[in-house]
Amino acid sequence: MTIRVAVIGNPNVGKTLIFNNLTGGRAHVGNWPGKTVEKKEGKCRHKGVEMQIIDLPGTYSLTANSIDELIARHYIVNEKPDVVIDIVDASNLERNLYLTTQIMELEANMVIALNKCDIADQLNYEIDVEGLSELLRVPVIPTVATTREGMAELKDAVLGAVKGKPTERLVKISYGKQLDGLILRIEKALQKDEEMCMKYPTRWLAIKLLEGDKEVLRMIDKSSSKDEVTDQLLETVG
Amino acid sequence: MSEEIREMIGEEPDVLFAEKRYAFISEILPKVLKGKRPLTRSDLLDKALLNKYLGIPVFLALWWALFRFTFDVSGTLSDLIDIGFGSLGEVVGRVIAHEQLASFVADGVIGGIGGVLVFLPPIFFLFFGLSILEDSGYLSRAAFVVDRVLHKLGLHGKSFIPMLIGFGCNIPGIMAARTIDKEEDRILTILVNPLMSCSARLPIYVLIGGAVLGGYAVTGTFSMYILGMVLAVLMALLFRGLIPYFKGKPSPFIMELPMYSTPTLRSSLTHMWERGVLFLKKAGTIILAGVLVVWFLSSYPWGAPLEETYLAMLGHAIEPVFRPLGFDWRGAVGLFFGFIAKEIVVGCFAVIFGVEAGWGAEPANVQDSIAGIFTPVTGLAFMAFSLIYIPCVACIGAIYRETNLKWTIFSVVYGLVLAYVVAFAIVGIGGLLGFA
Repeated sequence: MTIRVAVIGNPNVGKTLIFNNLTGGRAHVGNWPGKTVEKKEGKCRHKGVEMQIIDLPGTYSLTANSIDELIARHYIVNEKPDVVIDIVDASNLERNLYLTTQIMELEANMVIALNKCDIADQLNYEIDVEGLSELLRVPVIPTVATTREGMAELKDAVLGAVKGKPTERLVKISYGKQLDGLILRIEKALQKDEEMCMKYPTRWLAIKLLEGDKEVLRMIDKSSSKDEVTDQLLETVG
Repeated sequence: MSEEIREMIGEEPDVLFAEKRYAFISEILPKVLKGKRPLTRSDLLDKALLNKYLGIPVFLALWWALFRFTFDVSGTLSDLIDIGFGSLGEVVGRVIAHEQLASFVADGVIGGIGGVLVFLPPIFFLFFGLSILEDSGYLSRAAFVVDRVLHKLGLHGKSFIPMLIGFGCNIPGIMAARTIDKEEDRILTILVNPLMSCSARLPIYVLIGGAVLGGYAVTGTFSMYILGMVLAVLMALLFRGLIPYFKGKPSPFIMELPMYSTPTLRSSLTHMWERGVLFLKKAGTIILAGVLVVWFLSSYPWGAPLEETYLAMLGHAIEPVFRPLGFDWRGAVGLFFGFIAKEIVVGCFAVIFGVEAGWGAEPANVQDSIAGIFTPVTGLAFMAFSLIYIPCVACIGAIYRETNLKWTIFSVVYGLVLAYVVAFAIVGIGGLLGFA
């Protein structure tokens, strides 16, 4: 059995380095922003399980606004990797967790690599790793990519994640009473198009629709659930 | 549908959703994160290096130092390679009895490739220096500093990152434009990217600058890089103003500045080696093919003096176009073959002067011969022309893949026109200032 693992993260979180550590591949380490535009793949064997590792472009979010973000989100939505490793810069948690929330909404089977823990230490940050893991209901592994610290644990966590079902431990972000209700109603309306709901997380579709995401708007426009969704929207406006 | 949504949640629904996600994050953070960020050495350095007034001068000074370093360190090594290939050619010439074969090997293969490989040291050291700037974290700051200026001019700040990459090679630079959100901004960035002086142009600056600019060779080279950046900005502004497709405001952009760190020797050497090997591979393939074509054209009909060879015929045919710029037929052929790859320009000169010296004769030093066909002003014009017109066939291919046929043709044509105009202006201004 080969499991497919996608690696994602903000630019400059050490994604290339972790990818290299995992795959044993040699690649240049640098700070050119937007360096990994092309898709990179590698292999790794851990405890008898073969993993195929895919390096996704570094992005701050997963909107339909740039090619990089689209590449990353298409991969997660369409190819449905078994596990998504989200690399989070421990010295810059707030901004990095934004991408994490977006991956949560895509209902991906996520493992967080909390990288640059050494730098966070130097900056006198104290991070409650277990607490973070509990709050997000996602395994969180502290790593230091430059010294390969935490790589074995990360691979263990990936193997562990494959066994669990992510939907059972999904944290939903609340968008306020009014929006949450609307999201639920749109989700129901979307159910009419079974094929689309099999393929995409419905809550994500509803949120993206309300956000005005061009790609999702186009998709729903062509979907058989279009009338139901429009009705829901009209009803709420009225 | 989108209208109903807007009516319901306001003009910017995506901003509202983003705010809610950040609210979720700020709810979690205090529970798991303790400690406050102290002022680090990085912050202090940034206060100086990103300073409103100091930023640009510091950038220019470091950039200049980069070229000073490249030239000074590589000079002796280049001379050694030159001498090495020179004696190798002589030995081979003596060993091979067949005249045409001997000329093919000595003037064509060894002379042509040697003429290009002389520039291996500057390329190695340029990338070594660039890698130090990059790994230290300064290069992203350079982008930030320049972005501030670009933004005031109404340009997309993210454009500068593909442009910085273009200093190495324009092809990844053009591909890096994919990170730009708006299609119009992306195409604009691609169109100006070839103006960033890639490493293949460096041999031309080193050769011509070294031959005719004397003590100002480093300054001449540095000025080409600055000229490229200034032209890129001017062209972007011009296209935005003139071409309806590009009208509109550039979208805002966030840039992250990594912390400063001490560059490691290993990383810099690896980077230098990887880029150097790419250059070597190119020398063994497309550049070799190019110089062999030049050798063939410059040697046949066999026995004819250089002025009567096929190459001279080709050169004389295109020379009138370049005459106003002060380039003779040899310069014209160099630029003609430079279309394939810019390194071929120097390889082409090496072959031409090797053949010109005549078979069996001690070939003249390429730099001395260059000084014979260029003045400081026309030499500078030649450097500028080489900088501006389309870098190479592969780059045209990359532009085509990333845009379409229309923009590809546009890019080739405007590159040639701009190159001509700038070179003409240099010759004109030089003439007015009395450097004829």
